[in-house]
Amino acid sequence: MTTVARLRPLLLPTAFAIGLLLLWQGLVVAFNYPKVILPAPSDIAAALTGNFAVIWQQTVPTMRDTLAGFALATVFGIGLASLLSFSRLLRDAIYPLVVVIQLVPKIAWTPLFIVWAGIGWPSRLAIATFIGFFPIFIAMMAGVDSTDRSLVRLCRGLTATPWRTFWLVRLPASMPYLFAGLKIAITLAVIGVIVAEFISSSEGLGFLILKSAALLQTDLILAAITMLCVIGLACYGAVHAGEVAVRRWHGE
Amino acid sequence: MNAAGADYVIVDRLSKVYNEGTRQRVEAVAPSSFTVKAGEFVALLGPSGCGKSTLLMMIAGLDAPSAGRIEVAGRAMTAPRAETGIMFQDPTLLPWKSALDNVLFPFLAAQRQAANPPVDRAAALLDEVGLRGFHDHKPRQLSGGMRQRVAICRALVYEPDLLLMDEPFSALDAITRDEMNLVLMKMWQDHRHTALFVTHSIREAVYLADRVLVMSRRPGRIVEDIRIPFARPRGLEIGETVEFNKICGHLRGKIEHVPH
Repeated sequence: MTTVARLRPLLLPTAFAIGLLLLWQGLVVAFNYPKVILPAPSDIAAALTGNFAVIWQQTVPTMRDTLAGFALATVFGIGLASLLSFSRLLRDAIYPLVVVIQLVPKIAWTPLFIVWAGIGWPSRLAIATFIGFFPIFIAMMAGVDSTDRSLVRLCRGLTATPWRTFWLVRLPASMPYLFAGLKIAITLAVIGVIVAEFISSSEGLGFLILKSAALLQTDLILAAITMLCVIGLACYGAVHAGEVAVRRWHGE
Repeated sequence: MNAAGADYVIVDRLSKVYNEGTRQRVEAVAPSSFTVKAGEFVALLGPSGCGKSTLLMMIAGLDAPSAGRIEVAGRAMTAPRAETGIMFQDPTLLPWKSALDNVLFPFLAAQRQAANPPVDRAAALLDEVGLRGFHDHKPRQLSGGMRQRVAICRALVYEPDLLLMDEPFSALDAITRDEMNLVLMKMWQDHRHTALFVTHSIREAVYLADRVLVMSRRPGRIVEDIRIPFARPRGLEIGETVEFNKICGHLRGKIEHVPH
């Protein structure tokens, strides 16, 4: 394959995005649109570079709460799914309940978490954990359930203990499924943290967006959103890289 | 090694009934009895769905009998034994492990001398079945026949005293199947495990076994037990002889003319 053909999946959307930005810039300039309603991409870039210290300062807490919440969600999600894979009784008691709770829009719980855990970082960590837990748990359950039965039977024939079977077969077999859940969870964790920051916070990109909106600093809002895009992409990219590595290890 | 001539596996009025006490009651295996002598290669031949695999899985300890008893090496069987080697219909390899690591998997799974897995022995077995140069390949990079070769090595690596094989080559094409029969024959001659081999291929049974047991259609019962007279080592060319085909014809008659 030629270099161009290889880079096509990257080049094509990039070129399209640049085209859109240029169109946006052109229209705003041509019609002299008020900056407070719709700033041009150049205004947003200027806001981003001009206020970078402020934006970065607010990025750190958002990033911190997101990653910590995601990490906790991963631990709890894998942990509970693993536990349920050992006990039919626990599984039949707990799994349907989790599925039902998962149907409720979890973002609606956010104010409750603030009531419980206060307006500081613990409530934001809690909501990110809560919201990220479900996709990880459900993906992990699917992975554990879909483990090739013949492999499990092989382990039984080899007199492996249930724990050994879990560690050597069920856990590695569910890795590709797990990553599907992790990708959703990292995205949701960011949403959870931002919403929590909207409701009540004195730090973070959500707070910055809300404050800028109150001051009609539309360019700063969009600069903060740009930053969110960047950290969202970085987080997603990291999970995706993990997935690629696991799939390669899985012999795909 | 096994004391030649003694009964190593005793199957006594073993039966399996599914959904007992309901309208969906299915008698998969009718009470069946037979023995396998130490060092003997016995083929269990029968049509698809006759319960022969169920019978084998009960002997492996992977399926619970409804009635009857199994004795292996003088002990009543209740759960899988660490000394039995099993080959399934599918290779059942771990896709994320190399061929060599798959062969060593029994040591990892049951922590048999896990501190010191016999890497050299596993590697030598892979070489023996013609997989030199493929030790580090993952299952996906191997052909169906190669995967089943890895599975043979995995079943032999811990020197089992009993080798149970459940139609291990039924998913392979005819040419690969002949090849695998040769490989299995060679491995069995070199290692001489007591072996029980389930198959629905008459020719495969006659080619491989010292004795062939024929199972009827469901509910499966043993309807014939004959000795195969060919000397070992056997080449594939014995399949062309009149005697071979006469035996096959006799067995085919047994399978087809069993009253239901």
